[in-house]
Amino acid sequence: MFESIMNLITFRSLREKLLRKRLLDSLESGTAEGFLTLLLNLMSLVLLLDKDYRQNTKDFQGKYLFKSRDNSIVVSTQFKNGNMTIAQKAINDPNIAVIFKDSKALMNFLLSPKPDILNSMLKQDITLDGNLNYLYKFAYMATHLRLMATNALT
Amino acid sequence: MGAIQLKDIRLQEYDLDNLQLLRELRKESMAAKPRVCIERARYITEYLKGASGDLSDDSKGTSNEPMEIRYARAVKYFLSHKEPLFFDNNKLAGTTTSHPFGAPVYPELTGLTIWPELDTISTREKNPLILEKSDAEKLNHSIFPYWMERNVLEYTRKKYHNPDCMKLFERIVFFIASKSGCISHTVPYYRKVLEKGIEYIIQEAAAREKEIRGSNNSSSKACSADESKRSIEFYQAVQIALEGILLYAARLSQKAAELAARESNPKLKENYRKMSEVCSQVPAKPARTFREAVNCIWIIQIAIHAENINMAMSPGRLDQILYPYYRRDIDEGRLTIKEAMELIGCLWLKLNDNTNLVPEVAEELFGGAGTVPAVTIGGVDENGEDAVNDLTYIMLKVTELLKTRDPSLNARYHYEKNSEMYRDRVAEVIVNTKSVPALHNDIVDIEVLRNQGVKIEHARDYAVIGCVELAAAGRSYDASSSIMLNLVSALELALYQGKRPITGDEQIGPVTGDPSKFQSFNEFMDAFQGQLKFLIEEAIELNEHFGHSHQEILPTPLLSAFFEGPMEKGQDLIFGGALYNSSGATHIGYADTVDSLNAIEQVVFIDKKCTFAELVKALQADFKDNDKLHAYLVQRTPKYGTDHPVAIKNSQALIQFLYDLYQSRVNYRGGKYKPAYWSMTNHAGHGRLSGALPNGRKANQVFASGITPASQAAGDLSTCLRAVGSLKSTCIPGGEALNLKYPSVTGEEDLKKFSQAVEAYFRFGGLHIQFNIMSYETLIDAKNNPGKYPELLVRVSGYSAYFKDLNEAMKEEIITRTAYDLRTGKAIPFPKAK
Repeated sequence: MFESIMNLITFRSLREKLLRKRLLDSLESGTAEGFLTLLLNLMSLVLLLDKDYRQNTKDFQGKYLFKSRDNSIVVSTQFKNGNMTIAQKAINDPNIAVIFKDSKALMNFLLSPKPDILNSMLKQDITLDGNLNYLYKFAYMATHLRLMATNALT
Repeated sequence: MGAIQLKDIRLQEYDLDNLQLLRELRKESMAAKPRVCIERARYITEYLKGASGDLSDDSKGTSNEPMEIRYARAVKYFLSHKEPLFFDNNKLAGTTTSHPFGAPVYPELTGLTIWPELDTISTREKNPLILEKSDAEKLNHSIFPYWMERNVLEYTRKKYHNPDCMKLFERIVFFIASKSGCISHTVPYYRKVLEKGIEYIIQEAAAREKEIRGSNNSSSKACSADESKRSIEFYQAVQIALEGILLYAARLSQKAAELAARESNPKLKENYRKMSEVCSQVPAKPARTFREAVNCIWIIQIAIHAENINMAMSPGRLDQILYPYYRRDIDEGRLTIKEAMELIGCLWLKLNDNTNLVPEVAEELFGGAGTVPAVTIGGVDENGEDAVNDLTYIMLKVTELLKTRDPSLNARYHYEKNSEMYRDRVAEVIVNTKSVPALHNDIVDIEVLRNQGVKIEHARDYAVIGCVELAAAGRSYDASSSIMLNLVSALELALYQGKRPITGDEQIGPVTGDPSKFQSFNEFMDAFQGQLKFLIEEAIELNEHFGHSHQEILPTPLLSAFFEGPMEKGQDLIFGGALYNSSGATHIGYADTVDSLNAIEQVVFIDKKCTFAELVKALQADFKDNDKLHAYLVQRTPKYGTDHPVAIKNSQALIQFLYDLYQSRVNYRGGKYKPAYWSMTNHAGHGRLSGALPNGRKANQVFASGITPASQAAGDLSTCLRAVGSLKSTCIPGGEALNLKYPSVTGEEDLKKFSQAVEAYFRFGGLHIQFNIMSYETLIDAKNNPGKYPELLVRVSGYSAYFKDLNEAMKEEIITRTAYDLRTGKAIPFPKAK
């Protein structure tokens, strides 16, 4: 039993490192393809592994829908009872729906060195439907993740 | 009142060498780095979470108290816990935040917009604010989560089912509805608290409460049960909130006494002892001395910000309000002019102790503004007589010496009642500071207020709110920045049949017809006005929604106690308690819109230089490969700010149209909407987001500010002043900002010309004028070498800012504003790029 748990932790840690590297590569190269899933998977893993980061989801319930304007990408995520689930499909009654022009726009929106929510809205690269505070919280978590990944947290 | 007893109105014997305290405090103030302060957010949230459950729903939580009372208790809780801090040797006790220079968080308003930046705000590129890690964690884990469903924006969205007007607002490029961010932009009434003290106001509220309870028990009920209940709650809330101020003042007094006991330096010891004494008197009891009066005002300012956001809460006519205390102390030998200057300087520096908290992108687009607490001086008194007094000149001198961003100083000038000596001294201070104060035309301003139904004595006692807006000080609740509407967006919607280049193919406004098929300019004007009406109605609808939300979740009993009206009516300001009510709607891109209308009329319908279709095509291509048409539009079409009849007609028509439309609407407090023309930094931000325009302005270039003609459009100064001054001022009840620039004003002759130009503008009918005395070259150098100009103060569009803090677009706009040669009266051409 103990060995299985250790294996699981080791596996998750390795996977987290791998995802972190892929996310960094993606940010560095500007390759946006698949970055959303990458981000959400990394977020989900770090929530499991990092107790400080896990505090972000304590007592938090939120449903997020991300979809590209042409519907070629539809991803939803849900935070409930400290768990985070990810699905490659739409979700009913999201607290916030983020509709993006393309993956690049979404990447700039969520993970550029500057949190660019307002600017992306101004440029209409991103449109939002729902409670903006959920997005602000998510953007904080994403930024925090990026800073963790780049060892830039002070 | 107007008798001047100063031997020298310039107060030339005083400077920062012999006002060492002010020199020292100014140095510290300038060097202070802004820090995010969570103190208020923490206590307000803590109270509402712990004691009262859900802010927005009476049925939940542990208390069933009405919101008016519950919120008053939260404010009292904060004020009673607010740390009494003494950071420096300022003679006034009290601080807005827990830092020497702090940005308070208002999570119930727009505070949550910085959530994504909690890890980066301290190091961000534009105007960073230091945020302690432990404070960031508190915001992230315990403060912000509480407000996710409860701030004004989301409360309103939920209540009105995410209405279309809100979606349009969130596109940002059409209008801004400021009420999601604040109850602000107003001038409280300080005379009563100075004369009577807060204990008296509490007793008054208690007596009025008792009276209503008594009348409810009697058979003759003058008002409905609901109204009585609400009034009782209001009076109770006033008592509770004001008790919070007393608790804070008592803690200040106690702390100052402790510091005095510990202090070994006799001078500092005496200052602490004095502050302790002052705070044991005011604001609880009437102010007896000038120092007590000044400190009383400062403590009330702090307390108002415990309840309401730090945005343009303007102290008003301080030279009038404080004068009796000054005069008495001087006459009785308790005060010297130097001491009075020190106290005013201390207040000026205290008013600089806080700043706004906005996300970085908002800084980039609209940033650089302070909190814009406006102080008004000069003009006439309630009887219409010259009100300029010694304190007016002291305030001018202190402003001249300190050159700080805040307060935003506004000088009223009545050319029939005020002396030329006063006018010329104001001009001199503008020249010496290079930008402040702004000047307001008493004769026209009073007429404008009278036209809005304000009694003559109240109109004469007006003060300026924030930028340029006029208030019957302490008597009107104007919410003057409720709506900021981009006029160019309506123009583009008319050009593209209800769409805008920036919003792509989305149908935003009504389909008002294909301009290429219009047979006359009037058809286009109809389309333009149709789009404008659509946007204005959306903006008003949203403002009404926000207003109702404020009534439900964010009442203002504390602020209401410092107005005439609420106490008498038993009604909170937010429910219409003030004597006069209105909502302000200011407009961005006025000159560019008028010039574009002129260009369309002239080029398409009069000169027939091109068809409407060709014009629209050129705009869509940003004039690429169409230099000839572009040059014609820039050089040959009528420009606002000249005496061209087409320009005059269209500028007047737009003002009149907007006035008629807004004035026909009544707000949730029973007041009218008042159109205005000041733009803060929004003309730069919105300019960056707009396509090419028919006046020849290329895509993404900044708009002209306020009511100022477009850069280089008005070549002759006196013609420009006549054109702007001749706009029907009664149709501009919300105020206007005219920005002028002179490269230099040197010597007596120049100064005289400067003053005379102001007077001429006022005689034409202009409401307001402000200046930057600096050349194109200086400003370009300041942009390229910010380190050389750390304290360069400029007037933006109604307020002052440090040039270095402005966004790039705004810097560009100030650089390119037309500069006039005062001697020739001609525009100075913009220097060609080297």
